[in-house]
Amino acid sequence: MASEVDTAPLVGRTGTMATLRSALYDDLRPGQTGAVFLTGESGVGKTRLLSEVGDQLRQAGALVLTGACLDIGDASPLHPVRQALRRLDAEQGEARTASAIRGLLQVFDEETPGPDGAGALLERVAQGLHLVAGGRPLVLVLDDLQWVDRSTRQLLLYLLAGLGDLQLSVLAAIRAESLRGAHPLRRVLTELRRLRSVQVVDLLPLDRAATDELAAAVVGAPLPPEAADQLWRRSGGNPFVAEELARDRRDGRDGISDTVREVFLDRVDALPQPAHAVVHAVAVGVEPVEHWLLAQVVRLPEEELLDAVREAVAHRLLVGADDGYRLRHRLVAEVLASELLPAERAALHRRFAEALTAAPGELHQARLAHHWRHAGEPARALPAAMAAAREAERLHGYAEAHRHWSAALTLATEPPAVLPDGGRPEPVEVDRAELLSHAAEAAHHSGEHARALTLLEELAAEESGPPVCALHIRRARYLAAAGRSAPAEEEYRRVLASPDCTPHERCTAAARLAELLLHLGRYAEAGEQAREALALAADVPGSTSEVVMASAALGFSEAFLEDPAAGLAVMRRALDTAERSGGPEDVACAYLHLADLMTGPLNILEEGVVVARRGAERVAELGLGRTWETRLLAVATNGLFRVGQWAEAEKVVAAALRHRPSGADAVELLLARCRLSVGYGDVEASDRDLEAVATMLAGGGARHVLPMLILRAGLSMWQGRHDLARQAVQRGLTESRSDDVIVLATLAWHGLRAEAEAAAGRTIEPDPNAVRRLREAVDRVTRKSARAGAPVRYVADGFLALCDAELSRLDDGRGDPALWERSALEWDRRNHPYPAAYSRLRQAEALLGRRSRVATAGKLLRQAYEMAQSLGAVPLTAEIRTIASRARVTVDAAPGPAPVPRPRAAPAGPAVDELATLTAREREVLAAVAEGLTNREIGQRLFISERTIGVHVSHIFDKLQVRTRVQASAIFLRSRPG
Amino acid sequence: MTEPVWGPVHQDIVGLLADHPADVPAVVDHLTKLQDLLVRLPPLEESCPLADFNKLYLVITSTVLDGLYDDRFRDPAFLARLDVEFAARYFDALRFWTDSSPSTPKAWACLFKRMRGPDARPLPSAAAGVNAHINYDLPFALVTTFDSLDSEPIDGSDQHRDYLEINNIFAERIPQLRRGYLDNWQLMIDMVNGDIDDWYQGELVEYTRNVAWRNAQKIWRCRHDPEARECERTRLDDNAALLGRLLLSPLGAFLQ
Repeated sequence: MASEVDTAPLVGRTGTMATLRSALYDDLRPGQTGAVFLTGESGVGKTRLLSEVGDQLRQAGALVLTGACLDIGDASPLHPVRQALRRLDAEQGEARTASAIRGLLQVFDEETPGPDGAGALLERVAQGLHLVAGGRPLVLVLDDLQWVDRSTRQLLLYLLAGLGDLQLSVLAAIRAESLRGAHPLRRVLTELRRLRSVQVVDLLPLDRAATDELAAAVVGAPLPPEAADQLWRRSGGNPFVAEELARDRRDGRDGISDTVREVFLDRVDALPQPAHAVVHAVAVGVEPVEHWLLAQVVRLPEEELLDAVREAVAHRLLVGADDGYRLRHRLVAEVLASELLPAERAALHRRFAEALTAAPGELHQARLAHHWRHAGEPARALPAAMAAAREAERLHGYAEAHRHWSAALTLATEPPAVLPDGGRPEPVEVDRAELLSHAAEAAHHSGEHARALTLLEELAAEESGPPVCALHIRRARYLAAAGRSAPAEEEYRRVLASPDCTPHERCTAAARLAELLLHLGRYAEAGEQAREALALAADVPGSTSEVVMASAALGFSEAFLEDPAAGLAVMRRALDTAERSGGPEDVACAYLHLADLMTGPLNILEEGVVVARRGAERVAELGLGRTWETRLLAVATNGLFRVGQWAEAEKVVAAALRHRPSGADAVELLLARCRLSVGYGDVEASDRDLEAVATMLAGGGARHVLPMLILRAGLSMWQGRHDLARQAVQRGLTESRSDDVIVLATLAWHGLRAEAEAAAGRTIEPDPNAVRRLREAVDRVTRKSARAGAPVRYVADGFLALCDAELSRLDDGRGDPALWERSALEWDRRNHPYPAAYSRLRQAEALLGRRSRVATAGKLLRQAYEMAQSLGAVPLTAEIRTIASRARVTVDAAPGPAPVPRPRAAPAGPAVDELATLTAREREVLAAVAEGLTNREIGQRLFISERTIGVHVSHIFDKLQVRTRVQASAIFLRSRPG
Repeated sequence: MTEPVWGPVHQDIVGLLADHPADVPAVVDHLTKLQDLLVRLPPLEESCPLADFNKLYLVITSTVLDGLYDDRFRDPAFLARLDVEFAARYFDALRFWTDSSPSTPKAWACLFKRMRGPDARPLPSAAAGVNAHINYDLPFALVTTFDSLDSEPIDGSDQHRDYLEINNIFAERIPQLRRGYLDNWQLMIDMVNGDIDDWYQGELVEYTRNVAWRNAQKIWRCRHDPEARECERTRLDDNAALLGRLLLSPLGAFLQ
């Protein structure tokens, strides 16, 4: 038998094998991830390559996990990964690995639905894989990726972005035919193929020589020229087809069959009856079909079954593995598809369904529903579909859940089929309204907004549906999520106007409407609405979430309408309310809004950072570390970066990433860390983070594209690659929403800086078009920011000052010192030392270029140098040195050989009483500082003037030898009793 | 085998297609380079039917790019991605053709086949390309774009308005390209309106492009069902191919 099921040698793929091996293993440095996506048409040899490479890497010492995606369209979330683990479990002898695998499989079994469950599950899976790998490099091999479910896709991107903290490579095969049309993987691949860590290999058919070689290997001797010609023509170099045609020729069946379809039809016809039945059963089943299952479906005695299977394998129609049987190839399935009568097929599906139902142990509900549906028994498929939907929801696979609920809805309306015995099954009692409600919610969660709304309309038409007010709120929620603000607003207003709605419903509607109006930039109305919500909430017990939401809307609207103090007070009260009477999420949400408000529109950065860190500590105590602590630390990181405390920011971002966040949270942290690395001039670290961000964004998240491009431009400039900077900026200009004034302003500045530096350094040809577009962008920002809220205008003005100054550099080649001076002052005012130092450098350069006020230039250079050095901004420091040495200015008291390395935060001192030198009053003030209060707020609390608080604060700074509120707070918290 | 698909410029075209442009400036750059290569393709050179289409497409895409820079659209992120996805399908078709793959969409194959002659008039050639690109590629490009942006094809949305703005670009650019042939051109565009049944409804490019939008909405609803999606794809491919062949037949020449 062995000779009959032999496999032909792998021909013509030596180069590809080597590419795969090095991309997945040999060239992968520790801690790195890599991926190869193999695309090619059916029969071109993808699966074969997957298994060959898998074997090689296994021998080389990697732990190889092998799975395949299913084409039943409704497989359960993460199916291929679970399947791969089960397979490994079956073949694994080593006790430690085996227990790690079981532990991970249990993670899937015990998962429960909950807030941010999807992200937490990703983290747990990553940790589980880490244990399974046990220090070995991990290779995940996935076949038929064109059928991948959304959860698995997210897991892959998460792991490849390095967020799982796992050395991993992924090898996946995709049928090229499937990528035509609108496959969701298309866009993912377009994005991924630009990354260095990812390769997309298009596997082409064999060339003539390789086809001849393959045929000769199968036949045992080279083919006569005429036969070789014929084989080449028929197979077109497709190795699967070539191999089977050559085999027929060897076995003397040459010429009977012209196409591969005929080859396999002939073989099926040649099978004895039992083997025939086996092949058809496997074709109808969901692969792999387990032996016990096959036995029950074909109903053959064990001996006969084994013979039949052997026969089918010998005819190269079937392959067997430890976990069950599969058809030899997709092409075989296509040949068999037209061979069965519909009634025969339905009967087989019924047998599968019956066997699966009767089987002890875990039921695969999706598979069961699939078989019952195709057996023409909607009533029995229905409960299975509902169970599959719940199972998918449990694993946070809302896209799959939505499809199962939708299937259940269809099934519920189908008339029950007549059973073979002539009777009709009992109709299943289902609550249609309940199905609709679940389906709508799952659709909403998976981003199918239009579908969610349609389902909701159907639900509204049901007699037993929810009451009108609840429907209005739900409809508004879906509409808002779909970005359809106007109709959403209408729905909320209906609730507010309706006398039938409860006070709680009205309160919810008012709070949500306030939030919506805020997002639409209608600040005054948002504030009004928020006040109404707060008034309603006063009489509604248990409305803390609404209070927090409305307060945030009110706080921001006040801030935008230029009454920052009032806004801050509102948000502080909301935090108090949340602490007094809200749940953990309310507290977390209030902290986040407060920190956002302070570091955002109010621009009281230091206090905001203190609040964010305090909030992070608090929510960690409340058990919300993974989601909310991460978000609060991201706010703290960005604030610390802006005030120039980079070393501290670095520590905070590292702490946040230890939670292995996923999704948008992860992207924001990676961008924050990258911003630091670009400032430090750490090219490798910046590059790594940009790759990771791009990997995550391949799965969606358009709003982070522009920050990524801006960082790419910034990094490229330090590398002297002005061409890449120009490219990133121009792409950004074509993709930025023109109402996002701050992003556009930042982008324009990066672009102008690149053009000015390119012109000065003559690195690339000047591009008048690029400059013209940048000028237009600056004009647009100027126009639009005049109409924007004060906080937006404030930030935009800073960047516009930089743009004006860069433009002066472009205009006369030297730059206007007055404009640079203005920019430096603008950024000083914003407490943002990095651009301030940069502006001073350029101001000095402009002065030197005019040979005027050389002494002032020297002073500016020294100031810029000191600022840049205390930040740890290596490339900026280096540039200042270069300019200084050209002008013969000494910037450093004792010039060292190189810019100082990035400063590290001082190790925590011993816990002696560091506050001993402070007076009682100063301690009181410091306690308030550590709460994140502003001087004015502290003054109000302690009944002394704001100015006096300022004096106290500066004394505290002197005594503790610190320069910032963050540092002072840290010492205070450290020395706290208990 | 015999002569390579792209004759003397084969290697250049393979090299160009190895790159996958990811933003609109890169797409324009790609189309420009492709144009330079196509007009060197013997025996037709300057009058290569594909070059006729490519030239038109380049003009349209350059205008879209200018529009993106000039703040012409409400949701540039959407339009930029759509433009890239749209172009990717044209480049994919060229790649399939280069590999002599059976996966080459039929809608495109009928134009590619004519690359070596017999010569067709520039107008119907360009129209055949427009037909394949709008009637076949565009609905799928729309679906992929919406999918990647976590958005949906909704009538009256910002994206829909931007999408319709492209019609104005066609209206602006085509008269300049085909001055004097405008009436015929409009008639032609009428004829390539998606489903054959819809031929006589005629309302210029707007109509065709609206058919594409409707088709996108149709595919959107079944996008998770591989079988239904493939069925829809085949239907669009067959329809577009039918029209394409007609345009390139002697009948198409009446346009010019």
